[in-house]
This record gives sequence, structure tokens and C-alpha cells, in this order.
Amino acid sequence: MEKVTDLTPVQRPKGNQAAPWAKIALKTRAAIALASLVPSAIALSILFATGMDFMAMLFAIFLPIQVVAAALVGVLVYGRRGILEGLLVVVTIFFASFIVVLLGSVLWSVIQNGSQAISLQFIGQNNYYIKPNTSLEYGGVGHAIIGSLLIVGTSTLITVPMGLATAVYLTETQGKTKGLIRTLLQAMSGLPSVVSGLFIYAAFIASGLTSYAGWTGSLALIPLMLPTVARVSEEALRLVPQELRNGALALGAPAWRAFVQVTLPAARSGMVTAVLLGIARVIGETAPLVLTTFAADRTNLNLFNGAMASLPTYLFGFISMGFDESIQRAWGAALVIMILVAILFTTARLASRTRSKARK
Amino acid sequence: MTLNVDRPVPERRKLAAKPFSRADRIFFGVARAAAFSAIVIVSLILVFLVSRSASTFAEQGIIDFIFGSTWDASLSPIKMQLWPMLWGSILISLIGTALAVPMAISIAYFIEFMAPKRVAKVATLIVDLMAAIPSIVLGLWGAFVFTDVAAGWSKQLNAVFGFIPIFENNSDNFLRSPFIAGLVVTVMIVPIIASITREIFSQMDRDVINAALALGGNRESTLRKVILPTAGGGVVGGVLLGLGRALGETVAILYVLNLVFDTNWYQILESKGGSIASMIISKFGEAGPEEVGGLMAAGVVLFVFTLIINALASYIVAKAQPWRK
Repeated sequence: MEKVTDLTPVQRPKGNQAAPWAKIALKTRAAIALASLVPSAIALSILFATGMDFMAMLFAIFLPIQVVAAALVGVLVYGRRGILEGLLVVVTIFFASFIVVLLGSVLWSVIQNGSQAISLQFIGQNNYYIKPNTSLEYGGVGHAIIGSLLIVGTSTLITVPMGLATAVYLTETQGKTKGLIRTLLQAMSGLPSVVSGLFIYAAFIASGLTSYAGWTGSLALIPLMLPTVARVSEEALRLVPQELRNGALALGAPAWRAFVQVTLPAARSGMVTAVLLGIARVIGETAPLVLTTFAADRTNLNLFNGAMASLPTYLFGFISMGFDESIQRAWGAALVIMILVAILFTTARLASRTRSKARK
Repeated sequence: MTLNVDRPVPERRKLAAKPFSRADRIFFGVARAAAFSAIVIVSLILVFLVSRSASTFAEQGIIDFIFGSTWDASLSPIKMQLWPMLWGSILISLIGTALAVPMAISIAYFIEFMAPKRVAKVATLIVDLMAAIPSIVLGLWGAFVFTDVAAGWSKQLNAVFGFIPIFENNSDNFLRSPFIAGLVVTVMIVPIIASITREIFSQMDRDVINAALALGGNRESTLRKVILPTAGGGVVGGVLLGLGRALGETVAILYVLNLVFDTNWYQILESKGGSIASMIISKFGEAGPEEVGGLMAAGVVLFVFTLIINALASYIVAKAQPWRK
């Protein structure tokens, strides 16, 4: 008689059975809660009782107590080797929150100081007849906003096709120099912005081809924007399934038609992200514009003639003037830049979210 | 008809779009041209900067220009030597990177392995947003908000650790020091390093980590024995990219650092330091034609320096992600 073997595979554990090491006992939970509350309570009470310096309290009292507490919990859970575990958790959370606090300080000071300067007239008017100590009821960043849009818009118009074509080369062809190009693009993304400005200054302005003008600023932004656009659109094109392209090619479409009609529409939202992130990368760039466009205090709509103001150069000019009013103006301009960046970022995020929804 | 018994199933062929028509040839030609434009741009930058600064290099001598330490446009003949600024850039980047690396790795580790999903999403958003803060805004914040706070920290550091040479301060002026500039640079490069590290962490094989945990490992031993050895190369590359960005930082440093042509070797709390990029911007306004040549030469040095570091970094990142082709 033949023996019958059960061929059904062993059932894999499901749910919280699947990772037994992730389960935490009630006693441990209580210990963790205690260890995360008690040290800060002690430290805060000492801080208020003695009124000592916050940083001194942080390093001399809070951190040692917190480390000991976390190490005790570690010993409770893992035995002696748990000491390092506790240390790791404390150090990680401390460093992460330290940098988040610094960022919060940046955002808060920009919003707080900037909102005092900003008004409809500040956004709308230009800077003509404005002295460093003119009160904030007159003048504004209108000309700088227009200048920024013109300069960045022009470099976007040039850079996006270049970046897209580079991404095509990196994803759709079998070129042998792909590695080199990718390395070079990565290296370009770390190009010091001041060098890019010096380059355009040396090529066009120092050689006497033109005086300061908006279009030289646009050119100076290209080397800074290209790597971002190329890399993000490469990622976007890479996400398009290979089968889609092969299908189009198998139906007899030439490569360019397959790209334009199949691959590109499939990667559309990714491309939007690439463009927006590229703009966000350069909209606050100061050094190249200081070297190539100069500052102007009047609205200038002509990219090819005369100095042109932009938000970063406006900010750059007013920081060092030293009057309270001029510093207020600088904060206002900083807030305008941050709002523009935030808008670009939110749009980019929304665009990429619709992509991930569509994929499901 | 005979059947090939050794290989009953033929190998899967790679489908490659080969240009058959003229339109396709143009299409691929444009793509190739755009890709090579990256090479063209980099070489153009080098060509133009070198051609404008050749006379400076010839007059000052390359070795003297880089390693000397006097810059005086009022002398005749004019004397331009870069070393205090070059060393200042290196010092600030080292301070910035040394502070940024533990913070960036902590954030990446926190997002990938510790935080619940929702918190991780918010933290990722914060890191991305941080990367988008323009450096001039950071400079403004550094000049009017952060300098005073950081000067207070410097004072305490000096009071407690003043006996260590690097924390010496003999002038009692704690403002505009390399330490403060280094902290501002830290805020700039943490998001860069953190996002690369996070990406490398997220691409790790989860089964390996779970296996380590199932064998009784804890967080610390898993990080030390499994995660860091696997992801180490990529993290090093990310750190180098951050270092390159720190070296080229211009306007954020300009307002929080006292640029002095007197080499400050290690006293990071003293109110003197240097930075090539900031020096270029601050001297550019009132430079005569001859001095502009010197600034171009400084730009060449900065460019070559950062290009080497960045190329090295991207090579290491690429090597550390062999699964990406």
C-alpha cells in the first residue's frame, strides 16, 4: 500500500504571530513609559526650581538621567547587552529632535518676522525711490517677484527639454556611456552655485558680450537645475513598466512614437514632479544671480536689456544694509520665497500622489 | 527539424529599440546630444574659468596662489593667495559634516526602523522640506536669530572645555566663528545626507533584518552587525555629497563668519575664519579687473576640489547599490 503524504504546505503564521520578536510584554511597556516620562519630569522641575541655563540642564542633567533610565529598561528586556540598546534609542531620538528643533526655529522665525512685513502693497509695489530706512508702508518686492519668475521661467524652458532628453538617453537607449553621464550629473548636482555664476560672468559679461541682464542669470541657473530635472525624470521614466514599451514596439511603432505616445504619458505626473523640484532647487539661488543680473529697483520686463531684480538678490541687498526697516524687508522677501517653495513642493507631492493612486 | 536538447528553451532575448527610420535616428541623436551636454557644460565651465584666471596663476604662481596666505589688492604688484580661505572652507565643512553625520543617520534610522508609519511619513516630509530651504534664507536666520544663541553655546563650550586647544578663545568674542558657520552648514546638509541614507536603508532586504531580530538580536546589535555593514558604502557616499555641498556653500556662511586672511588652523570658537565661496561673493562687488582674475582662479580651485569629491561620492553611492543598473 502506498503511503499518502500530505503535500499541503505549512501554514505561515499571520498577523502579530508573524513577528514574535516585535511583541512587547505589558511590564516592558510600563517600564518604557516610565523611562520616557520620569527623566524629563525631573529635569524640568530642576530647571524651574533653580532657573539654570537650558542647554546646561540638557547636557548635565537630562541626558545622563535619560541614558541611565533607557539603559535600565534595556537591561530589563535584554539583559546586560541591553545597555547599548538603551543608549542607541536615546541618542537617535535626541539627534533627530535636535535637528527638527533647528528647522522649526528657521520656519518659525521666517513666518513670524516675515508676516509683519508682508502686505498686499509689499507684494505688489516695486522698490523705486526706496531708501534703506524708508518705512514699510512704501515699496515692496513686486519687481523682484516678476524678475524671479522671468529668470527662472526662462531657464526652466531651456533646462526641462535638456533634462528630459538626458533622461531618455539614460533609460531608453543602450548607450555605453550611461554610467559616466550619471556620475557626472551626480557630481554636477554638487556644483557650487557661485562657480556657475562666475562661469557665466567670465563667458558673457567679462568678455564684453553683454552687460548685466536677466538672460545671463537664466543661463547661470541651468547647470544647477539640470541634474535635478534629469535625475527625477529618469526615476519617473524608470517606473514605467518595460512591457508597455515593448508592447508599443511590437505593434510596430518607431521608438520616438512609442516614447511620445506611450512612455511619456505614463510618466506624466513624474515629469511634473521633476519640473517642480527643479524650479524649487533654483528659485532661492542667490550667488549666481548676484554675479550675473545685478540688482535693480525698478520693474524690468525685458530679459535682454538692463539689470533685473529677483527675490534672492533683493533679499541679499537688504540684509547687509543694517536698518531695522531693511531687515524687515529681507524677512518679508524670505517669507515670499518660502511660500513659493512650499507651493511648488505641495504641487509636486500632489502630482506624485495621483501617480501612486493610479498605479493601484 | 531537430530540437536542441541542451537548451530546450531559448534564452530570453533582450528587446532593444534600434533606430530604423530617420525620425528615430533624430530622436536618439537628440537624446545623446542632451546627455553629452552635461560633459560639455562641465568642460565649458573649466575652459572659461581657466582662460580668465590663467594670467593670475601665471603671475602669482600656482603653488603660491594656493598655499600662500596674503591677499592684498592695494599692494603693487597685487598679491593674491588663497590658503586661509581654502583651509577655512575645509574646516567649516569638517565641522558641519562631523555634526551632520550622526544627526542624519539618526533621522534616517528613526524614519526607517523606529517610527510608526504615520510619523515616518511626516518626518520624511520635514526632511524634504528642509532640503528645499534656500541658503539665503538660512543665512538670514543665521545672522539675526541663530548667531546669538550659538554664541551662548560657544561660551559654555569654552568655559567647560576651554583647556582643549580647539575650544580656546583668547579674544572673548564668540560671534562669527567657524563653529557657528559649521552649525549653519549642518542645518543645510543634514537633509541631503539623511535622504540618501534613508533611501539606502529602505532598499535593504527586510528578511535579513528580521532574521537578525528573530535570532534574538536587539536594535543595537542589528544596526551594528547587519545594517551598517550592508549600507555603509552608500552612507559614506552620501556623507561625501554633503561635504561637497558644504564646501561650495556661499551666502549662508557669508553673514555668520568673519572672513580674515590669517589662517585659523583649529581654534573653531575664535571670530575669524574663511570660505572660498563667500570670499568670492564678498570681494566681487569692488574688485578691479586684476582681482576679478584672482577670484576666477579661486573659483577654479573650488570647482576642481568639489568636482573630485562629488565624483568620488557618486562613484561610491553607485557601487553601494549594485542592484541598480
